[in-house]
Amino acid sequence: MPDNKALSGGLVKKNNFLLIVGAGGAHVGRMLLNLALIIAASTAWFDMDRLPTLIASVIAIGIVAYAVLRHKHGRKFRMREIAGLSALDNAVGRATEMARPVLYTPGWGGDIQRPTTIASMNVLSHVAARTAQYNCDLVYPTHDPVIMAVAQEVVREAYADAGYVERFKSDNITYVTSSQFGYAAAVDGMISRVKPASIFLLGTFEAESLILAETGNSIGAIQIAGTDSTIQLSFFIVACDYTLIGEELFAASGYLSQDESILASVQAQDIMKVVIAVFLVVATIAATLTATGLVDLGEWWMF
Amino acid sequence: MKRLHSRHWVFLGLLVVITAAMLLRVPMQLRTSPETQRMFDYLDQLPEGSVILVSFDHEASSLPEIRPIAEALLRHAFERDHKLIGMALLAEGTVIGYRLMEQVAEEYAREYGEDYVYLGFKPQFIAAILSMGESIPATFPEDYLGSPYATLPLAQKVSSYDDVAGVLSITDGSLTTHWIEYGGARYNLRVMAGVTAAMVTTYDPYVSSGQMHAMIGGLRGAAEYEQLIDVGGGGLRGMLAQSTAHLYILLLVIIGNVLYWREKKNKAGKR
Amino acid sequence: MDRKVALAICFVFGVVMFIQYFSGSSLARQVNQSILEYWQIVFAFTLVVGIVGVVRTNVQRINKRDDVFFRIVTLAGIIIMPVVALIWGIKADTPFMWMFENIQAPMQATVFALLAFFVASASFRGFRARSVQATVLLVSASIILLSRSALGGILADEIPQFAEWMRNYPSMSARRAILIGIGLGSITTSLRVILGIERTWLGGRR
Repeated sequence: MPDNKALSGGLVKKNNFLLIVGAGGAHVGRMLLNLALIIAASTAWFDMDRLPTLIASVIAIGIVAYAVLRHKHGRKFRMREIAGLSALDNAVGRATEMARPVLYTPGWGGDIQRPTTIASMNVLSHVAARTAQYNCDLVYPTHDPVIMAVAQEVVREAYADAGYVERFKSDNITYVTSSQFGYAAAVDGMISRVKPASIFLLGTFEAESLILAETGNSIGAIQIAGTDSTIQLSFFIVACDYTLIGEELFAASGYLSQDESILASVQAQDIMKVVIAVFLVVATIAATLTATGLVDLGEWWMF
Repeated sequence: MKRLHSRHWVFLGLLVVITAAMLLRVPMQLRTSPETQRMFDYLDQLPEGSVILVSFDHEASSLPEIRPIAEALLRHAFERDHKLIGMALLAEGTVIGYRLMEQVAEEYAREYGEDYVYLGFKPQFIAAILSMGESIPATFPEDYLGSPYATLPLAQKVSSYDDVAGVLSITDGSLTTHWIEYGGARYNLRVMAGVTAAMVTTYDPYVSSGQMHAMIGGLRGAAEYEQLIDVGGGGLRGMLAQSTAHLYILLLVIIGNVLYWREKKNKAGKR
Repeated sequence: MDRKVALAICFVFGVVMFIQYFSGSSLARQVNQSILEYWQIVFAFTLVVGIVGVVRTNVQRINKRDDVFFRIVTLAGIIIMPVVALIWGIKADTPFMWMFENIQAPMQATVFALLAFFVASASFRGFRARSVQATVLLVSASIILLSRSALGGILADEIPQFAEWMRNYPSMSARRAILIGIGLGSITTSLRVILGIERTWLGGRR
């Protein structure tokens, strides 16, 4: 004979389940209705003001896809030598010979979503692999906790890949402060006290760039810098041994890893550059002819 | 005592030159640059009562250069009876911005809530700029002093970028770029800036392309603006020190080249 | 497995944010607003990670007797500022603001002021007429320096005008070219991240 208590309990559970399903269903229904109302209320699905941006984006994506596919079909290309990147290994080697650490910092201006920071992480991975092999200390101060966490993982993995995970010191990769000149003072202090033999200033830098580069110069460190901040580039060129100018930093990932897909995207960059140059020439001719009144070619280029 | 290197002598010389120039009071007459004139004309020609967003996107470190720029712009805006909404994208700029607005508003007898409000700081600048484009009250439910947004008479008139004449970003770094890239490009917000001298060349391409409407740069920009509004301030006071420091650096460059050429000649003579 | 989830999240949000940018609909705006709100919330939690990291590193280094004085000052700052802020708040005229305005701000201004000294030493060392190109750089720098001082206009009206011309044409075109390169580099790097080709940001290449 079935247990009445258990049976009623089962019915209650079943009813509860139905109630929950019913309530959940009603909730989902309400959400869908709200969504439908929002969609119905939406008048402009496409903002026509952004058409030029969309066209440019589609062209850019198309070029990257084309370059990647072309690469997959065996078309290889060679990247020119980038002095700053070629000097990375020598800089780590020098620090090892002098028994002094390497200091790497990504600057104060970026956060992890910034392409420059991501590009800097690629170089960090390469430098960390070398410091692991040569058993040289790598010090990495940063102003952003997320960058710190990612850098720790990047360096740990580089050490593991090199087969020297026991040499990895997570304490050397530290968050110092989010304040610009607090960060500059902290890194300056580290440079003065630790006296690294090689300094890598790769990332987004602002006014702290010259403070760091000049302090590095004063202790005689070999310095490799790279940034996307055009104004800071001039400071780096004066105070550092090697400077990666803007896009060279973005190309570093492909240059150092020789990864086919990444190399293809670097080639895509060059194709886009040619497209832009052609557009600039055509637009300049059109604008000049229109301005002289010889022919009216309109202002289609001024989107 | 440790021997002083050439760099230490250079530092010492600069300290002496700047200190001496700060102690002197020499009136200066400056030629107004087209950028400063453009900023002045824009604020001057805006209809009275226009609402301007003023964003204090700087840290405390650059205050000696930022303060004269901000004061000159705020003075002109209040004098023209524009309404100002202050805010900060960097935490350190928050209280500095509030104090500056309060001080200049007092000079022109402007009232908080009616003529100006201060919304305070919002972290994550890109997210903050984009979020304000959707809704300013949603981004700042209350002002810096804790009053609900809806209770402030001036704020009631402003719900998004559509209701302001533009943003005036006072910056010592690249934050104005985000106003241009996100506020300007996405929401058609008119962007103007008061920037430190080191940042002027960074923003030049944006001014020339029209992505930034107007800009005044550095202590010199502040001094030119002070001349235009005919109210003296830190810009004109600091110009002598800045000018002598520039001349000192020029002198260093000449000395450096003389030493370099002498050394080169000596080497050639030995060969 | 965990990396695949992260890559999938990155791809989905990358595509959603890309699409919503081109839409003027209220749905797109709501999606945008919600994502931005979550972004800010997540950021607040990351600060905790940073503070824990700073405290842990400094305590460990104090135990190793490594720069003890500096580390104690750092830890004192980390403890005192939030405690004062929690007790009296962070609005104007509070002890927190007094400390900010009278201790932190002057210290930061001091570090910023170092820039003037470093500009002087870098100019002294860097601007040498070693070649034709270096001489052009030297002459242009001197003209810009003169134009930004009051003396430039006094000596000759043409100095500031010529400096403006240099900034607006030769210098601007060079910078624009660099900026275009940087922009294209950013586009391809972003595409690589969204498509999962670039994975270093996840902590490694694998």
